[in-house]
Amino acid sequence: MAEGERSPRQLLAIGVVGALIGIYLANYLNSWTSTAWFSFFAGLGAVLAVFWGADAVRRVASYGLGTGVPSIGMLSIGAGQVAVLLGLAAAKYYGVEYVAPIFALILAAIIGIVNGVMARRVIRMNIAIMERSMTEIAMAASLIILGFSTVIAGSFTFDKILSYVVASGFIIAVFIVGGMAMLHPFNACLGPDERQKRTLNLALSTGFIAMLVSGIAAGAINGVQAAVPTLIIAIFGWIIYYLRFFGDTKEDAAALLSTGLLPSEEEVA
Amino acid sequence: MFDSLFTLAISFSGFNPLLWVYVIIGGILIGAGVHFIPVGGAPAAMSQATGVGTGTTMLAAASGLTGLIGAGSAYALHPGDFAFTIVLGGVSAALMISVLAFIANVMYVYGAGVPLASAKIKYDPITRWRQDLYVSRGTEGHGSPMVSFISGIIGAFLAGMGGALVYFGLVETYKAIPGFSATFGTYPAPYYVSLAAAFAIGIFFLNCVMASYNIGGTIEGFHDPKFKRIPRSIVASLFVSLVGGLFALLIAVMLPGGI
Repeated sequence: MAEGERSPRQLLAIGVVGALIGIYLANYLNSWTSTAWFSFFAGLGAVLAVFWGADAVRRVASYGLGTGVPSIGMLSIGAGQVAVLLGLAAAKYYGVEYVAPIFALILAAIIGIVNGVMARRVIRMNIAIMERSMTEIAMAASLIILGFSTVIAGSFTFDKILSYVVASGFIIAVFIVGGMAMLHPFNACLGPDERQKRTLNLALSTGFIAMLVSGIAAGAINGVQAAVPTLIIAIFGWIIYYLRFFGDTKEDAAALLSTGLLPSEEEVA
Repeated sequence: MFDSLFTLAISFSGFNPLLWVYVIIGGILIGAGVHFIPVGGAPAAMSQATGVGTGTTMLAAASGLTGLIGAGSAYALHPGDFAFTIVLGGVSAALMISVLAFIANVMYVYGAGVPLASAKIKYDPITRWRQDLYVSRGTEGHGSPMVSFISGIIGAFLAGMGGALVYFGLVETYKAIPGFSATFGTYPAPYYVSLAAAFAIGIFFLNCVMASYNIGGTIEGFHDPKFKRIPRSIVASLFVSLVGGLFALLIAVMLPGGI
């Protein structure tokens, strides 16, 4: 970890706590006021989960997966989707729908651990942080899917998510756009001059694009109340963080680092 | 909460172990199918390696999702017809990969101006044509020669069948849940179709990415030495779809009264 970077633990806390606060705020403020004005909180939470997930992708993919960065993003978003839907159904079964996001998070962690163990022990990928990263990315993916689904449905109860997000087909948009938001930043920035700040600013920018898409979908379900605040915040967030990313890119591109010439045969020996 | 845990244990109604087996076999077929598909990756995109010039994730998504659409249409036409669903899923995916490989070959030959050749074998096992003379120096072959093309069709058929098996297992499970035959607005597809499709895509990605990690990104087809790694992928797919399939099927157990 280089100077001035955010630590994995710090990002985990930002992702989990931020996303859960956002999702709960959206659900409960919407239900107390019987409106959909507060759906955007879940979108902000999901953007924080993207922030965390993108850093986890960055950590594991910098080892070189051999298959491109998108593979781990799509794998984990698949795991996250399975976990979210079962988590919501399990919370409904036990009559504790208010812990549904926690259930989804735990189930995502279980699938993530299984994937990580399979990738490292059975397939024998030589990446020491595979289990941990797969778990983190699957958990982030579950929060991303749940967050954007809550924006669309206005609530995270199983019935509403099933009819407004799954049956309406928006789940596929959430799946692909949420996955892209998480995997694109490192895929775009990778290389020897990759820097966490630049990658994560791009992650926030792609997260807001994903929020924009979920805001449009929310307009189809809950109308103006859900769409307008979500779209305004998403557009402003996107512009702000894209400009920051652009600034970082210019700053980094100006620096020229000399690695020196290859050592000659005598120097090596 | 504990008494409901107890009832969960004794009344595992809605959970059909046979359908779980379908999902697991489907996952294994998806993982095995990926090993047959000529995945060229980034080098192939610059016509420096044999195969279709994109990564497994994209190839598997293209052929797998087409297979899923085929399986879904087949199931909608003849609900509960096992063989029809599975075969149509496989055929759709095979059709997609053959179109993909053919168009890519047209572009390699007439666009990039390279002959179709594999660097891993001296003679094509199907056509018996000489390969090594046509491989440009410094490259690993170009395009999809006959053996890779045929291998890709076999692989996509297996993977498409696998995806259709997963879909079949899930849709049969969810169809029995009360209230799942409702539709969203005027959409023709009921809830159980959407939910099964969403889960099938998730399980499809889990298995195909695991298989692509096993082949390390690129493979030419069944003649490639990397093909011998297939047993590891089968073990990984077995466990991944064991857990993923269990989670997907538990939804039916969690919703005894429907929605």
